[in-house]
Amino acid sequence: MTVRISVDYGLCDGLGQCALVAPEVFALDDDEQLVVTPDPAPELAGKVAAAARACPVRAISVEGA
Amino acid sequence: MREVVVVGAGLAGVRAAGELRARGFSGALTVVSDEVELPYDRPPLTKQVVSGTLTADDIRLAGAEDFGARWVRGTAAVGLDRERRRVRLADGVELPYDGLVLATGARARAWPGEVPAGVLTVRGLDDVRALRAAVDGGAREVVVVGAGFVGVELASSLVGLGLGVRVTLLEPFGRPLRALGGTVPDVVAAAARRAGVELRMGIGVRGFRAEGARVAGVESADGSVLPAEVAVVAIGMVPATGWLVGSGLALPGGRVHCDERLFARTAEVPGVAGALGEVGVTGAAGGIDPRIVVAGDVARCDAVRSADGPVALEHWSNAAAQGESAARNLLAGPAAAGSYAHVPSFWTSAFGLRIKSVGLPGTGDRVVVEEGEPGSEKLVEAHYRAGRLVGAVSVNLGKRLAGYARRLQEERGAAEAAGVSGGAPGRGSDEVPAWGGAAG
Repeated sequence: MTVRISVDYGLCDGLGQCALVAPEVFALDDDEQLVVTPDPAPELAGKVAAAARACPVRAISVEGA
Repeated sequence: MREVVVVGAGLAGVRAAGELRARGFSGALTVVSDEVELPYDRPPLTKQVVSGTLTADDIRLAGAEDFGARWVRGTAAVGLDRERRRVRLADGVELPYDGLVLATGARARAWPGEVPAGVLTVRGLDDVRALRAAVDGGAREVVVVGAGFVGVELASSLVGLGLGVRVTLLEPFGRPLRALGGTVPDVVAAAARRAGVELRMGIGVRGFRAEGARVAGVESADGSVLPAEVAVVAIGMVPATGWLVGSGLALPGGRVHCDERLFARTAEVPGVAGALGEVGVTGAAGGIDPRIVVAGDVARCDAVRSADGPVALEHWSNAAAQGESAARNLLAGPAAAGSYAHVPSFWTSAFGLRIKSVGLPGTGDRVVVEEGEPGSEKLVEAHYRAGRLVGAVSVNLGKRLAGYARRLQEERGAAEAAGVSGGAPGRGSDEVPAWGGAAG
């Protein structure tokens, strides 16, 4: 099953908690803007779900995890 | 397990309740909160809620409807009888449990002594409403006592309102956000001054002056009096564990001591342990109570350590992760439960600085600015102790923290493999700050 990630950039505050949990998928750039790797490998589904739960502003939603 | 009671409806308690359901617990679930408010998230309180960009509704956490729990709101837990497995509430009701999650969080540390009206603490929604009401009602002289995270965030939010509020920030220990250690506190101090906050560092507070019943000034240890229409006392937190005194649980420094798996440790009471089915732990006083887990600000967990022993964390990410882990381990039982494995992480923002940390900065003996210019507003600083990485702090440059988090995980794995874990317990954030008495 593919993992589909959507980020609400209106909510995202660049806190980077997701990047600590799933650095394979989430990263911050030089300006602390969130960068998401599209179509993560299915075996990362659990980590991606944990990253979404680690987001304090609930900006990340995940399907297929 | 048929009946689980979660005491505390902050982030840790709510995450525990959610995880219990997510892991298939279908029995009776009761969540107890001493607040009447529906559960809410605290980090935005001192920032977006003070500034008015988020409302109370915006910061709600998941609630009763999300996991079919019975909610008891506005009623505090006042006692725990472990032998009969009952939580006693302030209204006299007793809640039986097979499993219990302790997540009562912490309260704002009160000023030691009487204070006039207009001297506030900020921990909950009501507190923020009171602060905004004072400012909206015309108060323009605000003195914030304590330049920790709450004090600094509030000072930033108040000067940012554009209402002409004059903020003085008092800190007897010399630097704002001093818990971070290293050079970042000086960057914060410079930014605060530039934003128009008056900093009084290294000066203690003796008390409050009143006119009638209301605060009129804050008296410094040097005898000077700062005019104040509102004063905010932001001198730390006190874990809400008074109700557990006498329960037989170990409460070092007022926190609930729990083992690596978040099971509550018991105080050593000869003759009682066997009756409660407690599991002995080699080398420790007492054992654990296999029916009780601990999460969030109240927890002093053996798995969260600096070189000086267990450290209590009062961070959002810790409360969230511990709530989930505690629930899983409660369902699994001590034999199958896993150690709480979490690299501490923290963020704050004030005066245009986005500050993030991983690990335990401030516990090192050497600090190195590894990216950006020292003293600038864009840098990453690493904290080492005896040559080992213990933490990192970024200012407006959070992109490298994931790498430091990975290194911290590797360091911990290596230390555990080598049998190096901690030293004598005792130091750390359980120390009572020398406010009031020593400062006055």
